[in-house]
Amino acid sequence: MGFDERHVLPALRLMPYDRLVVVAGRGTFRSPGFRRLKALEPDLRAVGVKPFDLGASLASIRETIGLASRDGPVRISASGGPKTLTNAAILAAFQEGIEAWYCDPDPVRLPVLRGMRLEEAFSPAERVVADLVRRPVPYDRLVTTASARGLARRTAHAAVRSLAAKGLIDMLTEQGAVAVRPSSRFPLFRDHLRPAAKKG
Amino acid sequence: MTVLFGTLGWRPQSLVPTIRSTENLERVQFYHSDHAKSRDARSKVIEFCRSLGVAASAVEITDAYDLLHVAGQIRADVRKERAAGTELRFNIAGGTRLMSSAALLVCILEGIPATYVHDETYREIPLPLLRMTYGEGLTPRQREVLAFLVKNREKDFTETALARALGVHKATMNHHLRELDEKGAIERREDPNDARRLIVKPAPAMELLVG
Repeated sequence: MGFDERHVLPALRLMPYDRLVVVAGRGTFRSPGFRRLKALEPDLRAVGVKPFDLGASLASIRETIGLASRDGPVRISASGGPKTLTNAAILAAFQEGIEAWYCDPDPVRLPVLRGMRLEEAFSPAERVVADLVRRPVPYDRLVTTASARGLARRTAHAAVRSLAAKGLIDMLTEQGAVAVRPSSRFPLFRDHLRPAAKKG
Repeated sequence: MTVLFGTLGWRPQSLVPTIRSTENLERVQFYHSDHAKSRDARSKVIEFCRSLGVAASAVEITDAYDLLHVAGQIRADVRKERAAGTELRFNIAGGTRLMSSAALLVCILEGIPATYVHDETYREIPLPLLRMTYGEGLTPRQREVLAFLVKNREKDFTETALARALGVHKATMNHHLRELDEKGAIERREDPNDARRLIVKPAPAMELLVG
């Protein structure tokens, strides 16, 4: 990620690869160092991002990982760009369960659990409940609706508590009744919370 | 009450919006480098906190060249606060790249709500981190095996020796180790003294996961 020659070139020497993808700001692709690398690696794929926008960089890196993963294993060297791009790369590596390294200058492998994607942090029951909490809803009605969608009441209760513990929903008591509403962080996980597609 | 952690570079503006926006703020603890401009920024943040009547403590990190070391230091502070039952927030916007990345690593592993502040607009942007520790992705038994290996990193264990040390059947240990291997949490190396034996070692940085 990025193209700070002090970090990227040692990382390339230390981390063997079959395919190379460089994610960086568009200005980087005009730098002499990048042009030298491109001459050495004609198949190199360049992905332009807004390197100072962490959210946009995160989305681009996750998409790049998804595409590259179709052709074989992927690993990330995170430390070649500005701070925001590096942090986006680290976050993407943890969300996608991708091996990640930080080279500054010695390579340090980050404690990412390979293959453990953020999606797996949510059970099917949590996804069902999350799908029902688009706006504030009385707790009892939420559990009843979740039951109508096939969850046991006990499972629905557990899923609500679990989503609250993860910081995705807030539970409020209003006039003696408990209501559930999406927390301010809920939209950050909308993509990860989509109900799993039915098999068959 | 909430304790706000932060990393600070040369610009107090990277931390101030989060100090303003944090409800029930009890204390601010932030990390900065020994650069003169960073020390200037420290004084301004402390002054700002004083004007709000909020306690602030600054930690100067002089040897910020080892990501895992800095992450370990921040994690120890975070765990201390958490043990006291305090709500935590982290602003990772300021500081050097290494300091900010170390803070992000701690937030991911410990499940701490984190924000960064946009460089130009100074708008606070929350990061998509769950309030759950990352190590929960392992089963309790896998965590136990990994923690044992991390604690005994200097010692050489074969799969059989490990099964004996933890009091489980060899086949059970083989199952746990295969799962840990698939997740990249351990490495198997050939014993330099006996090529038929494989030594099991925790992968680098696993101390941050189960330590």
